[in-house]
Amino acid sequence: MYEFLNQNQLYIVLVITMLIWSGIIWYLVRLDQKVGQIEKRLKKDE
Amino acid sequence: MRLIKYLSIACITFVIIAGIAIPMVPQPQSWLEFPIIPGLEEKARNIFFHVPVAWVSVLGFLFALYYGFRYLRTKDLDYDMKSVSSAGLGMMFCILATVTGSLWAKFNWGSFWNWDPRETSIFILLLIYGAYFALRSALGSDEVRARLSAVYSILAGLTAPFFIFIMPRIVGGLHPGAKGDTAGSTPVAQLHMPPNMRVVFFIGIIGFSLLFVWLLNVRVRAARLEYQLSKKEN
Repeated sequence: MYEFLNQNQLYIVLVITMLIWSGIIWYLVRLDQKVGQIEKRLKKDE
Repeated sequence: MRLIKYLSIACITFVIIAGIAIPMVPQPQSWLEFPIIPGLEEKARNIFFHVPVAWVSVLGFLFALYYGFRYLRTKDLDYDMKSVSSAGLGMMFCILATVTGSLWAKFNWGSFWNWDPRETSIFILLLIYGAYFALRSALGSDEVRARLSAVYSILAGLTAPFFIFIMPRIVGGLHPGAKGDTAGSTPVAQLHMPPNMRVVFFIGIIGFSLLFVWLLNVRVRAARLEYQLSKKEN
């Protein structure tokens, strides 16, 4: 793996963009859960 | 807000495409060619992603400072929500900058972690803001939590520019812009970038900053709803 990435350095850039992308997605998923909980609580109130 | 959303999507999409697709050649002749930077080669493209992420983490901490200050002035809990949301975003981007930087370091400097001044300072920043969230979760009442964390976020936010912009420049290190490095003496860590790389780089900075504003806006709206609900239920 290390050798491959060292030979094909463009893939390092790919991994790095994917890391950032996964961070943003993780944040969105958590936010989605939070909003879902709020919706549930709202429904209970009605 | 709608403009911000579309602009951030457009900027980041542009940076991903331009940053990866533009070929690197030894002697660039046109705007659609990047020069090969010795020692970095293709890895130079990481600048377009790693540096804006680090920049956004500073932005998050500075926004947390500003809203903490506004909270103390107005005692309006809305500012507390804004403050903690931007600190959370800053923390997330700080972790991303650490992880991406660490991977890049493995291939450029031979090891995932080198205790380079900039690595050391981002590590300390992570500790400082880790303590911020620990502090918040330890306090029960809304007002006390808001007041204490506003004070903490001001103190912590004041150290952030020092750790990110000043400390890594005073001592010698591996990052560009460290002491003794004559090539990169510009504000954020960068190399002597040719104009076309610089354009892509700054569009990246703008795109990620706008993404931050967008994420912060959604996060704050969720926090507001949650607060209103808990007030109604009690």
